[in-house]
Amino acid sequence: MKKAVEKLVTWSRMKSPWIIHFNSGACNGCDIEVLDALTPRYDLERFGVQLHGTPRHADVLVASGPVTRQQAARLVRIYNQMAEPKFVVAVGACACSGGVFDGCYSVLGGIDSVIPVSAYIPGCPVRPEALIDGVVKLLSSLEKKEASK
Amino acid sequence: MGKITVPLGPQHPALKEPGSFTLALEGEQVVGASIKLGYNHRGIEKTCEQRTYTQDVYLIERVCGICSHSHTTAFCTAVEEIAGVDIGKRAKAIRVAVGELERIHSHLLWLGVAGHEIGFDTLFMYSWRDRELVLDALELISGNRVHYAVNTIGGVRRDISADTARKVLAAVDKLEERTKYYIKVATEEVTVLARAKGVGMLPESVARKLCAVGPLARASNVPKDVRRDDPYLIYDELDFNVITANSCDVFGRLYVRVFELLESCKLIRQVLKALPEGDIVAKMSRKIPAGEAVARYEAPRGEDIHYVKSNGTEMPDRVKVRAPTMSNFAAVSYMLEGGFLADAPLVIAAIDPCFSCTDRATLLRGNSGEVVDLEELRRMGIEHYRAKGVDFSKL
Amino acid sequence: MTAAALERENAVKAALEQKFPGKISDIRIARARRMFAKVAGADAVAVLSFLKDEQGFDHLSTITGLDEGENFAAMYHLVSGSVVLSLRAVVPASAPVLSTVTGLFPGGEDFERELIDLLGFSIEGLKEGRRYPLPDDWPAGEYPLRKSWKGLPPAPKGEGK
Repeated sequence: MKKAVEKLVTWSRMKSPWIIHFNSGACNGCDIEVLDALTPRYDLERFGVQLHGTPRHADVLVASGPVTRQQAARLVRIYNQMAEPKFVVAVGACACSGGVFDGCYSVLGGIDSVIPVSAYIPGCPVRPEALIDGVVKLLSSLEKKEASK
Repeated sequence: MGKITVPLGPQHPALKEPGSFTLALEGEQVVGASIKLGYNHRGIEKTCEQRTYTQDVYLIERVCGICSHSHTTAFCTAVEEIAGVDIGKRAKAIRVAVGELERIHSHLLWLGVAGHEIGFDTLFMYSWRDRELVLDALELISGNRVHYAVNTIGGVRRDISADTARKVLAAVDKLEERTKYYIKVATEEVTVLARAKGVGMLPESVARKLCAVGPLARASNVPKDVRRDDPYLIYDELDFNVITANSCDVFGRLYVRVFELLESCKLIRQVLKALPEGDIVAKMSRKIPAGEAVARYEAPRGEDIHYVKSNGTEMPDRVKVRAPTMSNFAAVSYMLEGGFLADAPLVIAAIDPCFSCTDRATLLRGNSGEVVDLEELRRMGIEHYRAKGVDFSKL
Repeated sequence: MTAAALERENAVKAALEQKFPGKISDIRIARARRMFAKVAGADAVAVLSFLKDEQGFDHLSTITGLDEGENFAAMYHLVSGSVVLSLRAVVPASAPVLSTVTGLFPGGEDFERELIDLLGFSIEGLKEGRRYPLPDDWPAGEYPLRKSWKGLPPAPKGEGK
């Protein structure tokens, strides 16, 4: 019985991940593309993905941009507020490695210099297609992991 | 009733200037507002001094992902002015065409966000759907939807062929038709008027005093437009109107932006139908002689000003970037004060600081530590107006 | 470039020379609509006030802080119609002190805070406020836009946790 419930929870989590989007110092390029993925042409919501405003409701943290000194503590706080199990997707070249801002005095580096990252989506900025692909790949890898349990 | 202090932000990461707003409330009325900026400070100006001019173009492009072309154009024209290089008319015309496409993309984006903030999500979805047309046109020209990387020191990197021009013009025709619909929505739709008229007042004298720029200034009857006042590229040969409004409120900003969409369509047509012949990039030495220059550019949000000082090497001595929002933040405190808390998201959005950020600001109520995100505040705003009889759900 | 095209620029130049004899140096018309001038830091506010009230330069675009070796400078970019006048207020690097211009241009507050944070200016008369644009935990005495500044000691990975 317990196993069946767990299975149901995993299934619903896979089918409808709620995401929160956080800009940790990005130029906005990735942010508008993330939002773009939710509007009519790409319509990420048809896959059950929904954008949420509060970290406490979200399963996936979609973080864009290099981590600036000022935002680092806020990023960690948001991450800590999320309930387990939680995943972080680094969106864009800057989020993956610091990108073009690597070496700027007020930039610490990619998202993974502050919090653990589950998936990296490259691109400057990421295309909405790449974002959808990344989220789907993350979910299917979880599904496999779950199945092998 | 005592005063309540409401911090809005700091998860409010806009371009170079994300902010944290602290609002003092008496009841629902905002009696004081202060802003803290700097969350997205990355240190671009210093880094520019440590990289070559060509590398800087790519860095400057990423000052802002929405008006990237504005920044690179201002930077490149400043460098070209110091070097004394004339980049040729074709390159200038292509810069104008891409710049105006960018303005359309930015204004449509803003229109959607404004729609979202007042609870009119249909407008948000419509305008973002139509925005895809511009992004397609930009992708056709440059190969990318955002960060077109069209500019380089000495000209542009991509030519516009006759075939591309034809396709872009077809997209512009479609956009113009849609724009007429948005004009109707923005100027006639009663629910929009109810949320926008008389909200976030910025009188003309204050707009002048606080040095407001762009659509914010123009909506307060201050006809500042760098394209006309201080023409750059080939704007002095083009025919367009500077749109102003004298209502000094959010409605005026809406009005100015939707009509500017039409002007941009007109400009793109003029440029692409008579694209001058010639080279698209001028040969330039990698070393720029010592000198200094100030370049101004009318970005979608207003005057963008770049100052470049060179020292004869391959790297600049000083690069100063002042994005338009920076100038407009001074006006935000003024506009918030005296208004309702319910209008705060719209007033902040109305200067077009950035949009996606507005969604994720955090709000702490009083000392109770109760956390309300901006989404919640937006809903409160919609409810507030619904109680007054303004309801979008019935549309 | 004809002489007539520079009528406005020349008029401003003449007015400055007449009003502040010997105080303003290097008045330069770089090209049509672009002017540069230099003034000692102590005289900056008087000159700015004259330009604003009597010459129509009522728009302060921004202030650029410059490290020029022995001297620091704050460059006020003023706009009147189509003309941009960049006024360089020069102060010694050992004591970079300027008076605030927020009395003339209330919107200039953040530009002045940038001078304080990034170059270590002190601005007399600027009202108390939060710092901008450097992060709250930025160490005192580190001014990134100074030419002598070579960076903070490398931050340990994961800082901010």
